[in-house]
Amino acid sequence: MVLFSVVVLAFAVTRSTGTPLYAAVGIQTSEEILEARAELMGLNDPIHVQFTTYLTALLRGDLGSSRFTFVPVTDDIARRLPATAELVFFSMVVGSLWTIPLGVRAAVRPNGPLGKLGEGISQFGVSVPAFWLGLLLLTVLSYQVFPIFPSRGRLTSDIDSSMIVTGFYTVDALLAGNPGLAWEALKHLILPAVTLGITSSPPMFRVTRAAVSAALASPYVEAAYSYGLPRRKIMVRDVFRNASPPILNLMAMTFGYLIGGAVLVERVFSWPGIGFYAVWASERSDYDPVLGVVIVAATIYVVLYFIVDLLQYAMDPRVRD
Amino acid sequence: MTTRSRTDRSLLSRIFVGPSKGRTVRRTIFYFILLIVIFGPWIVTHDPIRPDPFNTLAPPSAEHWFGTDSLGLDIYSRVVAGARIDFVLALIGVVLGGGLGSMMGAWAAYRRGWVDTVVLRVVEVLQSFPVLLLGLVLFAALGALDLPQPFDTGVVVLVIAIAFVNFPSYVRQVRSVLIPLTDAEFVQAAKCSGLGGWGIVWKHFIPNARGQILALFALTCAYAIQIIAGLSFIGLGIEPPSPEWGAMIREGANLIVAGKWWASLFPGAAIALSVYSLTGFSIGSDVPIDPTGVSS
Repeated sequence: MVLFSVVVLAFAVTRSTGTPLYAAVGIQTSEEILEARAELMGLNDPIHVQFTTYLTALLRGDLGSSRFTFVPVTDDIARRLPATAELVFFSMVVGSLWTIPLGVRAAVRPNGPLGKLGEGISQFGVSVPAFWLGLLLLTVLSYQVFPIFPSRGRLTSDIDSSMIVTGFYTVDALLAGNPGLAWEALKHLILPAVTLGITSSPPMFRVTRAAVSAALASPYVEAAYSYGLPRRKIMVRDVFRNASPPILNLMAMTFGYLIGGAVLVERVFSWPGIGFYAVWASERSDYDPVLGVVIVAATIYVVLYFIVDLLQYAMDPRVRD
Repeated sequence: MTTRSRTDRSLLSRIFVGPSKGRTVRRTIFYFILLIVIFGPWIVTHDPIRPDPFNTLAPPSAEHWFGTDSLGLDIYSRVVAGARIDFVLALIGVVLGGGLGSMMGAWAAYRRGWVDTVVLRVVEVLQSFPVLLLGLVLFAALGALDLPQPFDTGVVVLVIAIAFVNFPSYVRQVRSVLIPLTDAEFVQAAKCSGLGGWGIVWKHFIPNARGQILALFALTCAYAIQIIAGLSFIGLGIEPPSPEWGAMIREGANLIVAGKWWASLFPGAAIALSVYSLTGFSIGSDVPIDPTGVSS
């Protein structure tokens, strides 16, 4: 239902406001060619017919094709989605690496130095625009001061297409027994993943801190203490277990959001993912790719949302009542 | 959300001066930026949009405090002038989206039933759109349309995109605050005295959510500035030579390879400072987040 509305809305916005006709053929074209082209593209049909055509194609997995390369959008997206997924995955790893330990620490000791450090990083991550942070990192670590990281793309050399199994180049290279290539892929990943990891993770820090401190203050933890259970055991058995659902929930949501939200970082690092593709297409007024990326990104988000709901239902008996 | 005393005076003072545990710095920065927004045209040292072809890509100096860009435009003056563009656009977008969102949220809380359901569904749909991609769609669409004179495609895209992202969060927030009031006595009394639905929403519901609306306001403005800069950075928002921070970073991005860092460093710092200072105004953020998400 939600997905259907997304499609309707995206379609309505692109079609209702302008005709894709001129963008398709250029301005200096005779009436006859315009007419023929309009007929070909189905633009003379009433709008609901156009929409039905689009929708039936969509259900077959056909998102139309680019007006410039004539490559089907579905193929393009399928080829680029793993790049985005890999980037987002690694940035989530970067994000969890600092948010979870520091968030827990901030909950245990609200005024301790590590908690303050976490708060500081989180403030920084919220305030700094991701694309600017990416540019700064590029300046310092790729172009100027310590030029140790590559600046664009996923690899400098070409990957053998027979090696691609998962689409994650780091994993594929390792599977193919080529650690050198995996290292190269990882080096390309680090800067964009750190950029995205820092700017997207502050909510994770906050939620970790809130969830852990809520669990710490709860009656069952107090009871566990009064039984004389060791602190370590209480932390693992009571605190972490009770604090983890909201954290996992947020992580899944962040992942879903970043699939469509990594656009700027992809742009800065010329990362060949779906966001970069959408920008490329939009600069050329190429509707179908933009529409396709929006639909795919929204679909992933909604599906993840649904899965998270199900998981919560399975994990937490309280939700079932 | 915890219930707070909602006496308006204390609320306003809490937002603008009130207990500022570790927020003094942020607020000071904010008032400083506000002065720049207001007095911008008087404190620039050069015309922000007049190129100086004999002085391109000059590094920061006494003459050009932040250096010049590839057209010889003075970056300091452009950063100062950009403050107006970014803040004003953010304000328009947030007021538009937040205003409509608050009204819808209050209306949903007042009517409940199917109205509530429909509003919540709409909000869900809107929230599943990634905002930057939405900007791309809007731009592709509006680009083909000839807008009447005073409207610029980029500006319209930005304002709509910001209104669009803010709408759902205001609906949710306002609705969740007001739900307990649906059957409150004073609402019943207002109904009995013949006040219509929108009258009740306007006179009795909205004022009760004022605290939450204001708390969201600063935060969403901060976020809006990020969106404006982000969209302009990928070439969708404000186009050069208009001095907008994101567009300036975009210009400067190509120069970084050559070691000309100043063209994008300063506008980016301006964005970061603005966002940082605005987050110092949200009274919401000192209330711990309810991690279960079931706030009411």
